[in-house]
Amino acid sequence: MIALHWAGAAIILALLAIGWTMVYGGLDAASTFDLYQQHKSLGFVALALTAARLAARLASPSPPDPVSARWEQALAALTQAALYLLTVAAIVSGWLDVSSSPLPVPTRFFNLFVIPNIAAPNLTLYEAAAWAHRAAVWSIAALVALHVAGALKHHFLNRDDVLRRMAPLCPKPGAPPG
Amino acid sequence: MTTPSNIIQRSGFVCAVLALGAIAQTRIPAAAAANWRIDPARTHIAFAIDAVGYPRTHGQFRQFVGRISVDFDHPDKSAVSFHVQSQSVDVGSPSFDDYMRSTAFLDAAHYPSIDFVSKSVEKVGDHTVRVTGDLTLLGVTKPLSVDVEVERQAGGGGGGRLEFLARTSIDRLAFGMNSGFPLVSREVELVISSEAIEI
Repeated sequence: MIALHWAGAAIILALLAIGWTMVYGGLDAASTFDLYQQHKSLGFVALALTAARLAARLASPSPPDPVSARWEQALAALTQAALYLLTVAAIVSGWLDVSSSPLPVPTRFFNLFVIPNIAAPNLTLYEAAAWAHRAAVWSIAALVALHVAGALKHHFLNRDDVLRRMAPLCPKPGAPPG
Repeated sequence: MTTPSNIIQRSGFVCAVLALGAIAQTRIPAAAAANWRIDPARTHIAFAIDAVGYPRTHGQFRQFVGRISVDFDHPDKSAVSFHVQSQSVDVGSPSFDDYMRSTAFLDAAHYPSIDFVSKSVEKVGDHTVRVTGDLTLLGVTKPLSVDVEVERQAGGGGGGRLEFLARTSIDRLAFGMNSGFPLVSREVELVISSEAIEI
């Protein structure tokens, strides 16, 4: 579960960085085209990973958090649920965006095979999907910031082990050394 | 066997004939006009197209052939034809090239050639000729008129150079190339440049 968390975090940050660069980076058309293909391919990796995380989360709920206040637990749960929801929304709206575009560009998954579209070209639907994708993505960026702020608060202000429990390379409290 | 290099070299004559028409009009002897050779490294058939929310796409065709006939006494009887291999499109990325070759734009599998055949050549200025003819793209033929600027440069080693520059634009919708409109502009700018060397 921890490995899935950090893999998901890395992919979401990469998607945000590539997405921002391909839209606002001022690159030439060819580089922009390639970045779009990478962004779309990585988006489908994120979709698979998010499905795996949701399945793992349902199979194995998070450990209890006895140190935080109720409002903090509620806010953390809400933030994490919103992150799952918005991640799925961002991916699906992105898929709908490229599918309904008046200029349909086939999504070649890392240049291996073509991923089918889920809608026919439609300018109105395309504009709505593009708006939803942007809204979801900016919301994710804000929630990731909130999520990180919460983790840092636990580590530096509360001085508890909430962040350490998620660290992939650090020994867990109570775990045998080595 | 036809190789890209000799294809490009032959294509240079497309621009050469335009220049030769201008030379003839400016009373340079016909005998001198025959001694020009196109520099393939300096011959480019380029295009550019705009899109909303996307950088301007610049590309060029790497393979093309051309044929000419020149009447130095009557430049208006000169003729030009060229045939561009649509699969040779180069927009700077292999995956982007493939997309440009697809049915969305050039449909290179069904329409391997983009053709221009002149119908008339006339002098319109001291350094400009106008070539009028038919352009066939995606199997649709439409009239096209192109003004070609011609500049003669003195050569350092005894041989001079001729520079050609032709700019025009076409409406891709007129040829049935509708993909992406209106997000992708209907106007495609064409820029053909070349140089010939005096030999």
